Amino acid sequence: MKLHKFQIAKYNFQFLLKLPAIKIQTLLATMNSNKIKIIVLFILLGIQTVAISGPRFPMPEFESGHTQPPTLQPEPRSDFFEIFDAFVLIAALTVITWLIHKKRSRRGVFWVSIFSLLYFGFIREGCICSIGAIQNITLALFNPSYQIPATVIAFFVIPLIYTLFYGRTFCAGVCPLGAIQDIFALQPVDLKTWVQKILGLIPFIYLGLAILYAATSTDFIICRYDPFVGIFRLDATFFMFSIGALFIITSVFIARPYCRFFCPYGVLLNLISRVSKKHVEITPTHCINCRLCENSCPFGAIEKPVPVKEIGNKNTALRKFMTLSFIIPLLIFIGGWTGSQFHENLAMVNADVRLANEILTTDLQDKTIEFSEEIKAFKSSGKTADEIYAKANEILDDFYIGGWILGGFIGLVFGITLASVSIFRYREDYKTNKGECFSCARCFDYCPVKVES
Amino acid sequence: MQENNHKKVNVRLWKRIVLIAAVFSLLTALLLIANYIQLNRADPVNTKTINMLVERLNQNPDDDALRNEIRELDLLARKAYFTNQWQIRTGAYLLLIGIIVVVVALQIIKSAKGIEPEIPAEKGLDFLSNQVITRKWVSISGISLVGIALLFAFLTHNKLGNAITQASTSTQTDTISSKLAVNSNNTIETSTMVSDSMTTSEVAENQDTATNENDVDTTTKVLSEYPTYKEIIQNFPCFRGPGGNGIAYQKNVPTSWDGASGANIKWKFAVPLPGFNSPVVWEDKVFISGANATTREVYCIDRNTGKLLWKAPVVNVPGSPGTSPKVTDDTGHAAPTLAVDGRRVYAIFSNGDIIALDMDGNKVWARNLGTPSNHYGHSSSLMLFNNMVIIQYDQKNSPKVMALSTTTGKTIWSTAREVKISWASPVIVYTGQQTEIILSSDPYVASYNPWSGKENWRIDCIFGEVGPSVAYADGLVFAQNEYARLVAIKIGEKPEILWESDEYLSDVPSPVATKDYLFSATSYGVVVCYEAKTCKKLWEQEFGNGFYSSPMMVGGRIYLFDRKGVAHIFSASGTYKSLGEPKLGEDVVSTPAFADGQLFIRGSKNLYCIGK
Repeated sequence: MKLHKFQIAKYNFQFLLKLPAIKIQTLLATMNSNKIKIIVLFILLGIQTVAISGPRFPMPEFESGHTQPPTLQPEPRSDFFEIFDAFVLIAALTVITWLIHKKRSRRGVFWVSIFSLLYFGFIREGCICSIGAIQNITLALFNPSYQIPATVIAFFVIPLIYTLFYGRTFCAGVCPLGAIQDIFALQPVDLKTWVQKILGLIPFIYLGLAILYAATSTDFIICRYDPFVGIFRLDATFFMFSIGALFIITSVFIARPYCRFFCPYGVLLNLISRVSKKHVEITPTHCINCRLCENSCPFGAIEKPVPVKEIGNKNTALRKFMTLSFIIPLLIFIGGWTGSQFHENLAMVNADVRLANEILTTDLQDKTIEFSEEIKAFKSSGKTADEIYAKANEILDDFYIGGWILGGFIGLVFGITLASVSIFRYREDYKTNKGECFSCARCFDYCPVKVES
Repeated sequence: MQENNHKKVNVRLWKRIVLIAAVFSLLTALLLIANYIQLNRADPVNTKTINMLVERLNQNPDDDALRNEIRELDLLARKAYFTNQWQIRTGAYLLLIGIIVVVVALQIIKSAKGIEPEIPAEKGLDFLSNQVITRKWVSISGISLVGIALLFAFLTHNKLGNAITQASTSTQTDTISSKLAVNSNNTIETSTMVSDSMTTSEVAENQDTATNENDVDTTTKVLSEYPTYKEIIQNFPCFRGPGGNGIAYQKNVPTSWDGASGANIKWKFAVPLPGFNSPVVWEDKVFISGANATTREVYCIDRNTGKLLWKAPVVNVPGSPGTSPKVTDDTGHAAPTLAVDGRRVYAIFSNGDIIALDMDGNKVWARNLGTPSNHYGHSSSLMLFNNMVIIQYDQKNSPKVMALSTTTGKTIWSTAREVKISWASPVIVYTGQQTEIILSSDPYVASYNPWSGKENWRIDCIFGEVGPSVAYADGLVFAQNEYARLVAIKIGEKPEILWESDEYLSDVPSPVATKDYLFSATSYGVVVCYEAKTCKKLWEQEFGNGFYSSPMMVGGRIYLFDRKGVAHIFSASGTYKSLGEPKLGEDVVSTPAFADGQLFIRGSKNLYCIGK
């Protein structure tokens, strides 16, 4: 019996020594309490520290007289390096913006991508990233007790500011998630416009869900399902590694699938980029309609000229406008109502709601069944089922309201998408789609028009 | 320019590099996956060999050589595990390097080839056609999304919210019940479990000053499948009260009456058919049964008037034998006490017929459990737990304990027992950790899981023709039988006998216990009080007539009827203090039931209601 205890203790001891190397996902996966999970997640994502106050398991007692070494704790990232990261971000953005707008250099963008992939990806291990920062910002807005670190705000805001002035230069080669996909875009194929439009709706839904779950302190789903962070850290679970690998393999044929069809931060950049002060243009001067650039964009972000003859008559346009004025509010309502009906399904992601549901369906005093870790934690917490039910009820109420908002938002997105494919934009030249263009500079080399130096 | 690039860059070489790096990466990836699967399967602290050796070491704890062998093996297993981890990490780096080489080489090849802009042959669909198709697909996907969401939503619509609200309401009701008990002035701790949501309760000792009845929440009138704890303790649902532990929770129970003069006798009801079962009470209804060799009946009497509300003959029971088994006169055909949960009343008879009647006497279900082979006659009373009727069916042929559904009568679980015939009844206790059914029979006292029927523990400690049921208080189970012994079993992770005694053993009455005291009555007329934790005898009192009725504790007092119908009422304390000896004027072998201000006792011929 004693030996058995020794074995377990020794095993735990080995695990303790490895604690400093534990990364967010691994740590979260091992934690029982979802509340702790959320708190630790916030801390880890927000301020880049791993805060473990003590040993995870009781210290073993060695019969051999072995002295227990002190538990090692990883040092938090110093303030200097946090500021340094923000400066690196600004520097990288400045350089790549200069390379795109002034030098029109695709090669330069490529090497900045390599740098970002190495620094923000493999060295900084993909955290903090601007994409995940959406959740920190949301949580800070909805939960006053959450102290959001300044670095998180910087990583969220700075790319938005650059986008407002220069378009999506952040996506071009500073975001490590974009960079890793971009360098694999070797044989991109064109997707049909309607396929792009439909898949392009996913980021809006993902963004809505991420905000809903962050606002209700449920989860940081963007981080949890980040397909590349596990690759950057070389510690992904098999499942997440497979997802990441799938994205990378897909990138070879469908350029930047995550950026185009999943990235929730891309939604914000897309919207801001549409009103950016300056945006990349295919041609440095005037488009000569040579059509050489027509298939140059692997992201389908080049808009072809629309001849006047295709515009249609004014009556048809007016009728469509009237229909859309009616349909968009209707879609918002239908979406909101659907979301409100779906709120319980959405709420099942919440750990407290899941626990309440599990308590409801579990005989807590039945010794014949093996309880889940959540039930064990609940039983040892001293809380009553009533407390859990009350909390779950509150959360369900929040999700009911959230369901209306999320559904309404999705309805609005569908409405606007329908509107965007119902209105006419007269164009004479080949133009970049300011929202969807990643400013990768690929199209520059296809344009025969050069500026005389 | 293209040719220049070809001259500068050896494309063929880079293509070979790509091929080699790609093959290398693929092999590394395959090895990594294999290693990962192997690592996931490995459990260095739980290998078969080591476990076997540890088992051997447990048998020979002084075998140092074996101990060292285990340590060495353990170390090897751990080394292998961590080496495997190292291999995976190293492999991941190699894979990364391989992929980087592939990508860089491919980019170099692509760069060497240069850009070859060309004018697309066809312009594809025109702008308007594209818009039409896109609108169509956006609409289809939107409708699909709404459809899928609504499908999921309506499949689970409000189920979770409603379930949580209901559960929350139920829990709050039980909390009120607990408060009802806790708010009382002086309390005696007990731990009788009668409902899954019940916690250790503290029972009012001085009920005269207990919570006003008006404080009781009576809003929950919608009947659930089974009663809440509050409902149970407000009534008297089975033999020896809620859980069968000999404790009742009623207030203002009378201490004086006289059967001969009719003083303080509210009513008496002449029971048509004989029976030794005790009354049970639910709200304004009192239930008993009676039977002879040919007829079996259940009676419902108005608690306020003593009038027969209905009589239900037990007939047309599927599987019922044509003839009743032989029984002795002192057991009869209706010895087991009924059980009632406010939804139905349940009765069992000597031939194994069990019936459930609704509160108006209509048959809900009935079945025959097989004629019990019992030389005196079956006498174990029914017990209720949630939606289950618990039956201790310790007969000669295939003894067992079983749970039937209260709503359908179907067997929920049945557990075979290796025991001899027993006449004791089940007791359900809540230990603070779990709910257990505790049964006493020759040769052991055993505990069962009420949800599954699985045996929790058993202790061989008793023998003979076991009649008394067990008592439970504060983690101790008290079991006894005449010519055997009285044992106190400390339950918990490893139940064990705390103490035992061979004095004053009962063969019929069951004991009753508090956390401090154990009260036991014998059929030859001695009542003894022990210190529950130590077996120290605190007092003994000899009475003339002997007892078959079991002592009941209510309001800090013990009520014990002797065989001549004299009630011995004394304080439930460490010193004997008589509080009255009122006479019924009729022989009594059954155990009383209680309602607020009232006591119900079955005499040899009549059922009495004592009180106002």
